[in-house]
Amino acid sequence: MTADEAASSAAGIPLRPFYAPGDGSRDYARIGDPGTYPYTRGRMRPLAARRRGWIHRELSGEGSPRRSNEQLQTLLAGGALGIDVIGDNPTMSALDPDHPMCVPAVGTTGVSLCRKQDFIELLEGIPLDEITLSHSLPPAFALAGQYLASPRHGIDPRVLRGSAIQPPLYSEDCSYSTFLPFATRMRLTLDSIVFALREMPRFHAFLEDTYYISDGGLDAVEEMSLGFLEIREVCRRLLARGVPVDSFAPRIAILVNCRMDLFEEIAKIRATRRLFARMMREEFGATDARSWSVNIAVHTSGLTLTAAQPANNIVRGAVQALAMAMAGVQGLEISTFDEPFRTPSAIAHQIAIRTQQVIHTETNVAAVEDPLGGSWYLESLTDELERRIDAAVREREALGDVETLAESGYFRSIFLRGMDRHSTAVQSGDLRIVGVNEHVVAAEDDRFLRDIAEQRFEPDYEQVERIRAWRPTRDDAPLQAGLERVREASADLDADLMGPIVAALDADATIGEITGCLRNGVGRPGDPFEFAAARRPDGTRA
Amino acid sequence: MTGPGPARPGAASPGPARPGAARPGKIVIGTLGLDQHEVGAMAISRILVRHGYDVIYLGRFNTPLRLAAAAEQEDADLIGVSIHSWEYAAYADELLARCRDLGIGLVLGGSVLTERDQANLMARGADAVFGPYASEATMLRQIEAAVRRVRGGDPPAQADQLGVGHQAMPLAGRVVIVTGAAQGLGRAYTLELCRQGAAVVADDIDEAALKEVTDAAADLAGSVHAIACDVTGSEAPRTLLDAALRRYGQLHGLVSNAGLLRSGPILGLADSDLRLLLDVHVTAPFRLLQAVGGYWRAESKAGRGVEASVVLTTSAAGLYGFRAEAAYSAAKAAVAMLARVGADELGRYGATVNAVAPVARTRLTEWLGEAPASPRDDPLAADHVAPVIAWLLGPAARNVTGRVLEAGNGQISAPSSWQPGPQFPLPSLLSPEAADVLLPRVLASAAPAPEVLTSQDQSLVRTGRGFTA
Repeated sequence: MTADEAASSAAGIPLRPFYAPGDGSRDYARIGDPGTYPYTRGRMRPLAARRRGWIHRELSGEGSPRRSNEQLQTLLAGGALGIDVIGDNPTMSALDPDHPMCVPAVGTTGVSLCRKQDFIELLEGIPLDEITLSHSLPPAFALAGQYLASPRHGIDPRVLRGSAIQPPLYSEDCSYSTFLPFATRMRLTLDSIVFALREMPRFHAFLEDTYYISDGGLDAVEEMSLGFLEIREVCRRLLARGVPVDSFAPRIAILVNCRMDLFEEIAKIRATRRLFARMMREEFGATDARSWSVNIAVHTSGLTLTAAQPANNIVRGAVQALAMAMAGVQGLEISTFDEPFRTPSAIAHQIAIRTQQVIHTETNVAAVEDPLGGSWYLESLTDELERRIDAAVREREALGDVETLAESGYFRSIFLRGMDRHSTAVQSGDLRIVGVNEHVVAAEDDRFLRDIAEQRFEPDYEQVERIRAWRPTRDDAPLQAGLERVREASADLDADLMGPIVAALDADATIGEITGCLRNGVGRPGDPFEFAAARRPDGTRA
Repeated sequence: MTGPGPARPGAASPGPARPGAARPGKIVIGTLGLDQHEVGAMAISRILVRHGYDVIYLGRFNTPLRLAAAAEQEDADLIGVSIHSWEYAAYADELLARCRDLGIGLVLGGSVLTERDQANLMARGADAVFGPYASEATMLRQIEAAVRRVRGGDPPAQADQLGVGHQAMPLAGRVVIVTGAAQGLGRAYTLELCRQGAAVVADDIDEAALKEVTDAAADLAGSVHAIACDVTGSEAPRTLLDAALRRYGQLHGLVSNAGLLRSGPILGLADSDLRLLLDVHVTAPFRLLQAVGGYWRAESKAGRGVEASVVLTTSAAGLYGFRAEAAYSAAKAAVAMLARVGADELGRYGATVNAVAPVARTRLTEWLGEAPASPRDDPLAADHVAPVIAWLLGPAARNVTGRVLEAGNGQISAPSSWQPGPQFPLPSLLSPEAADVLLPRVLASAAPAPEVLTSQDQSLVRTGRGFTA
């Protein structure tokens, strides 16, 4: 076997030295024109939309809601066309900033949000009727908060566009834990999707985020097969509730990862479109063409970025972004060069937005849909990924119901194996990374951009104080009544959770308190860290 | 507390070591606080298991207490913490102290640890600290050395080498506000307190200089929380106290050092300068005493009394007078008396109050001339006063209160304060003639007042003897 014959893609697909006619789909109907089933080549956009390209956005959120609002305003002023807000560690775990375990983490990895007023402050002056708002936040609260805040700024929730990540299957195992059992997480997903279909009909309340599940070290096949597993499970449960497929399928979007094997990443997106279209039409019986063509956005991989020689990360972000532009994604976020160190600094944000702008305005890359379509290599890779992803989905579904798999630690073992595989490959040099296991420079010569990347800021203690001072000022009767309704709804498996959550948030209950009641309702302690309750200044339990 | 979440002790264990072979070490591994990225924790666990170590994997959502309890229960050699979030800084002191107390080693690693963080944690007693991309061989070698150290009962090598052991840090765990912390004496105090392990809430109006002192303290055992505020503001004492409580949860000490000089003879001093001198030197420390004293009183009443200490800053000018500095001298004299009465009042809440009259080369004493290059060669360097301040804040000075120390230029003394003179009967309604006879006798019986100091004759310098004397 020659070296060429031994080459493989990042996901382990064997690669030939070159590709020729006959490799990949011979039947053009399996590929199809842009805008036609099976949507391998994506949607067919009118010229003006095509010229606008994708939604340029960057992950943001830092400190208090007001400070984050300034960050959003700066990004929009710099040309961002959408917003993606992530919560800090406490917010992502549905805990309040004044919880003793949370104080050291408030605002350092995202925005601190725990009450209606926080959403109002976060979104003040943001043209929500013109841009999209993607929430990397606990989805039920993201939707409830935006729903309550928008009218305060004179915007009808019915015009809101954006997305909310629904992570019912995997979040406890590979991401931010909310300390809720699978059944409650799934109810929150289903109820919030149904809520948004009714109240925020233009919103993608069902964003399948395969970025966060895969960036610990999973490959493209694992990423998309787990993603499809989750989409399918949620779809089946929505259908079982009697929600028509063509009412929710057009509101599904996928946020994928993009690593450094660029052709594989582009092929992954094309394979995903085709798998999604076929699944919706053939399996779930969707008849509306909008249900078949899935909206795909991308967040470039943080794991591919390095703490060594951080300037190299700008290059990595640029090549990944170019690949994704060629894949025709609907939205794009570049992991910024300081990602290995912190959430994005202002200059890193600017560079990432400028990178997108340079690619979009100067390269003409968005002029043609699916410009790489018909590449023998790419079509072959698309076919192979489609086959492997589909096989992996079937294989996992054959193992049993996903609830049992989730609770038994099956998914966790996949994530842990991926992390281990990645770190072993980096250590051994099998995964070649410039500046890490090749072309390494001495620490004293590695200063460029490092000073910016290593800059730190304090947790937002003022926000903690603000919340502490605000708690006793609330009107207690409606607050307690609202929380009680959440607790009752949580205990009643047939009850809708969204109505009580929106009402409680509107009555100034905090996200931590509401989630505490969700936990209470299913027999779990309200405060996942037991010692905290006695130390609450106002004596309330989480 | 029992941990929530998916912690699965032993999940990464048992390893593939040969049956019967002695394990090279036992390590408890986890992340701290809400740091939820497990990539590093998993990676190091797998590496260690592959090399025969016994790994107790605690996963996420740990506190120092939980890690230490697990390590103690399992009789582990080391605790390993994977760090992907800055919040580790809030837990580092406690974790280091718990490991030290239990005689357990501590190894930390993670992508957010900069070279400076690594040096800092090592100086504070960690066995090993790994940044991103530490090689497997390096990690294994250092972990092996740490296990050997722990099993041999030796102290952490690096801490021992730097003299940052338990003994050398009498202020470890103590939280102290220092005003005027950015330059001169305040800067020296801040750095010395940090060197001795204190957490310093450093206040100054010069934000840039404050940042510089914060950076300078980065590698020291303690920590600096910088607050830029003007001590003469009525809200300043509350702001500083709140900052200390928010950041560290408690307060043990106050060094009221902020000062400035407005020179001028009585006949020439502008009214605005007079007010400024009194505001900075008298009103500000008075209000600070009110704020911190109130806090200590509340803590004491709640049964949480602390061993608290205040050091105020007086001056030779306040003790002996200084030519053409009447207002400054009067203000500093007031501070000496504030220490005395403050000691009496706050003593019942567990606080000592003392004052120091530093003799040092600062912005206020530019007339002392140019400094030698190294503070070591300069008896007038502020660095030599700082250990005195630290001592007054430490455990050895618990019974010292209401006193004044004059320190610097190679000398230290406890100047005597006002004492009653020999007593004479005061006749009823003293006539002018009788006064002419009595008062000269009274004054002659008392010790003569020292000469007022001047900058021209450099009295301060002349009285000092330097280090070699």
